Amino acid sequence: MQRTRYFLRLFAAGLLMCLAGEPLMAGEPIKIGMAGPFSGSDASFGEQLWRGAEQAAADLNAAGGVLGRPLQLVKADDACDPKQASAVASRLVDREKVVAVIGHFCSSSTIPASTIYADAGVLMMTPGSTNPVVTERKLPTIFRMCGRDDQQGVVGAEFVVQRLKAERIAVLHDKTTYGQGLADAMKARLHALGKKEVIYEGLTRGEKDFNALVTKLKSLQSDAVYFGGYHSEAGPLVRQMREQGMKAALISGDGIFSEVLVTSAGGPAYVEGVFMTFGADPRNLPAGRGLVEIFRKNGYEPEGYTLYSYATLQAIVAAMQATQSLDGEKLAQWLHENAVETVMGKKAWDGKGDLRVSDYVMYRWDDKGKYKELD
Amino acid sequence: MWARWWMACRVGAIALLLLAPMVGAVLSGYQIETHWQRPLWLALAVTVGTFFCSWLLQHIGWFDRFGGRAASSTPAVTIGQSGPRPLWILLAMALAIALPFVVGKYGMSVAILALIYILLGLGLNIVVGLAGLLDLGFVAFYAVGAYTYALGYHYWQLSFWLALPLGALLAGLFGMVLGFPVLRLHGDYLAIVTLGFGEIIRLVLNNWVAVTGGPNGVSVVFPTLFGLEFNRRAKQGGTPIHEFFGISYSSDHRAIFLYFLLLAVVGLLIIMVIRLKRMPIGRAWEALRENEVACRSLGIHHVTVKLSAFGLGAMVGGIGGVFFAALQGFVNPSSFTFFESAYILAIVVLGGMGSTTGVIAAAMVLTVLPELLRDFSDYRVLSVGIAMVLMMVWRPRGLRQRRRPFFALPTAAEENRAAALVPGVDGR
Amino acid sequence: MDIYIFGQQLVNGLVLGSTYGLIAVGYTMVYGIIGMINFAHGEIYMISAYLTAIFLALLAGFGLHSVPVVLLLVLLCTLFLTALYGWSVERIAYRPLRHSNRLAPLISAIGISLILQNYIRISQGARNQGVPPVLEGVWRIPAQAVEQQFVQITYQQSLIVITALASMALLTWVIHHTALGRACRATQQDRVMANLLGVDTDRIISVVFVMGAAMAAVAGMLVTLNYGSFDFYIGFLMGIKAFTAAVLGGIGSLPGAMLGGVVLGLAESFFAGFVNSDYKDVFAFSLLILFLIFRPSGFLGVPEVEKV
Repeated sequence: MQRTRYFLRLFAAGLLMCLAGEPLMAGEPIKIGMAGPFSGSDASFGEQLWRGAEQAAADLNAAGGVLGRPLQLVKADDACDPKQASAVASRLVDREKVVAVIGHFCSSSTIPASTIYADAGVLMMTPGSTNPVVTERKLPTIFRMCGRDDQQGVVGAEFVVQRLKAERIAVLHDKTTYGQGLADAMKARLHALGKKEVIYEGLTRGEKDFNALVTKLKSLQSDAVYFGGYHSEAGPLVRQMREQGMKAALISGDGIFSEVLVTSAGGPAYVEGVFMTFGADPRNLPAGRGLVEIFRKNGYEPEGYTLYSYATLQAIVAAMQATQSLDGEKLAQWLHENAVETVMGKKAWDGKGDLRVSDYVMYRWDDKGKYKELD
Repeated sequence: MWARWWMACRVGAIALLLLAPMVGAVLSGYQIETHWQRPLWLALAVTVGTFFCSWLLQHIGWFDRFGGRAASSTPAVTIGQSGPRPLWILLAMALAIALPFVVGKYGMSVAILALIYILLGLGLNIVVGLAGLLDLGFVAFYAVGAYTYALGYHYWQLSFWLALPLGALLAGLFGMVLGFPVLRLHGDYLAIVTLGFGEIIRLVLNNWVAVTGGPNGVSVVFPTLFGLEFNRRAKQGGTPIHEFFGISYSSDHRAIFLYFLLLAVVGLLIIMVIRLKRMPIGRAWEALRENEVACRSLGIHHVTVKLSAFGLGAMVGGIGGVFFAALQGFVNPSSFTFFESAYILAIVVLGGMGSTTGVIAAAMVLTVLPELLRDFSDYRVLSVGIAMVLMMVWRPRGLRQRRRPFFALPTAAEENRAAALVPGVDGR
Repeated sequence: MDIYIFGQQLVNGLVLGSTYGLIAVGYTMVYGIIGMINFAHGEIYMISAYLTAIFLALLAGFGLHSVPVVLLLVLLCTLFLTALYGWSVERIAYRPLRHSNRLAPLISAIGISLILQNYIRISQGARNQGVPPVLEGVWRIPAQAVEQQFVQITYQQSLIVITALASMALLTWVIHHTALGRACRATQQDRVMANLLGVDTDRIISVVFVMGAAMAAVAGMLVTLNYGSFDFYIGFLMGIKAFTAAVLGGIGSLPGAMLGGVVLGLAESFFAGFVNSDYKDVFAFSLLILFLIFRPSGFLGVPEVEKV
């Protein structure tokens, strides 16, 4: 009994400390949510997002912060699970009282979370959700820093038909919101160009053995394979194609834009001749070059979405500084009307929150395991 | 003392062996970076930690529990007791009603999630806890419910209030159809069939793009209350609820509405389960769980009885699904993975298999705990895993054990202890 | 139907099925002996993939380049450490629950699987990892094939099939012809009786976990070498598939696990190759359900007789 009472007191003391611990001072840091998959199967993308946002916050704070206050990032893990995404969204809005949110990553998380942000009038800008639905609902405070699947698929389809002159085109996807959306957009454009795919099928995300599918592609004699999905599946897929003696080109989207593709394909020899669409490489833009050097000096290659989340924070902060306000609706209105200079070049948004200019270009991997923009 | 150090050192050595390659050598491309000091420190921590834990546990006297040898001095026959006292029930009800006015939006979303899991836990509890049928694919029925509302709204403008019974019926129907051929099977085969069924439902929802929208999911409209909408501005000539009552708009109204609705449903379900337990059908479930052969020889038709439990559980799962869809405003198949089934099962097992209060407590622990652990950021899911293992080891029979008359032979250790307590019996 | 395509799909299915079979052994043995579905087994396989890559990189760092020596050393190290992981998991999460209700270990297994996944994610990072190709080369039948008219199997794929068969044979021999195997079978048939007759059943259960983990280690290494790509999440899907294979073959039966694996692998390959790869998994699970309804004990399982 004595002990029980002791523990009860201990517990009460702990509770009190937790409550007292909530900072309520004036001049406190401006909180910005960084939501993404930091656990679960997509955690590698979460890591990229976090690295970029972290660096951006550090740089902006070194330059004196915003409105005289420092920035503070709040990490919010949604594991790409829609249910957790809504929970963290209300947590960010309600508990952490964030002013703006960078994220989420998976479109299936972004869609339910964005209604919560829009409801609370919090600015949200996703660095990586390319599904059209995110902005098609015309929620006033929802933006994206990346292109849309329907834009990206168009570039892919035109490339396959006009540059590669492929005749027997296979379209594959990984049955995710992103992958299938991309493949559908590509297919639609393909039909518009008067071509028809020889096969349109999905593979299972998380598997490594696609030999059966590859044999099928071989029997269909396809000469170009378009894949909507991520590098973790694209790597084994291209390797198994080459192992089975298929020489067809593999074309994919921003999901494979990562040097991890080389590791997951089993070496640079296998990725030669893989094509992908991505925004003009931020690492080659004059604005971003110095930043890339800083990342590399810290032993991190800023690939994939790293610079996207960096630029997202820059855009949010630019709006804060221009409007001298932390009100989500005012920030959103400013962003709809003005362009922002970021590490990824000048960015401007239309009424829906999509980027005005989508700058998807085609890249090609070489046998050294590096990629270069095609001219 | 030295024996304990020796034991701790052995544990530490094993930890070092396990950690050294994994923590000490980090893969980077095809090379590795070595951090040899990390595993050493961790192993040292494990050694010292083991020593102190074992010392502490022994001195506090909890060690027996951690060893899974629960030291209870229950008599050989435990007589069933009534549930929690009315006072506690009243207190819990008052707390539940007061909750929305105390916690904020985030607290509400966690509370609603917890209520959905309580609902699902209670549903699965009928199947697993009461009828003793191991169901590893409960999420299938949850998905059926959620998609009934989502697709029903999408194609036929089905309202929430119609979707609720329809989702339950449809899920129950699925349960019956699946259950009928399968329930003849013995114990674990049922578990495997349900696991397969759960996966099939998810895969079909994901692949059948033309109807379900595939991974893109389906949007769902928020329910209305007697035709009153919860939006800032009403669509198509409806009246928003805040205008009707003349109060200012707040997005919290939705959460509060959903919370109380769920609370009512959960309350009804609890009453129903309590009644069912005392009815012949409930007795038959539990009898069947304890001994199937004996029941069949007494003339209980095992397939019908099992089917009723399975179907009822599925119906509750379907209701949970409809609520989930309403809460999210969007459903896609990634919410209905096998892991979700496992999590609901964990709620039932942790709750003590068949105990209503236990399931409620476990559902709250397992939904609130991961949210509380958000401050641990990177270590959150790891901590949830550790908590699950520890809770199981600490309370293998769940948070709240069944209170029903049952015969339990005391173990040898308990008999010795009992003998030691009674002076004169052991001849001293 | 083109005979070469058919032959190629047969090879694909066989290779895939062998890996399923190797992992299914762990499920089937543990189930046979304590009647528990060890959901953390897939994570043990995932750990062995990481260990393989780490030891490959380490040995390369020491300047070892002879392929057979490297493979053997990697196999030994991976086998030992993975087995140790299997043993520790049993010791920490399952042994304390030996005498409690049957579902408790199931839940702690789910907990362990969360722990192992996130332990790897935190220590090794979330990104996709890989190993460089070690064994390159391919057999083609017929050897002088014209354009696309051949059936091929790479050296690594044949290594998978051969090693799978060899280790299954070894394991079956151990179970049927050694004192340890006898003790295992005794424990499986009647744990209390075996204990009364002087078998240390706790130790035997540990041994079973170690054996299952060792087979998963073999699978992990072979799969990693063959596909060259893995991350901390591969255990989940592989675990479910291997478990399906174990049930198809008749849970509790060793040769059944292998057979179930091969059948599942072939079914997936043929369905994906000739019908539709979208519904490949639906087909696999439907097969499982139909099979369980009409022949609940699987291919080689013994029907349960209920004693009163």
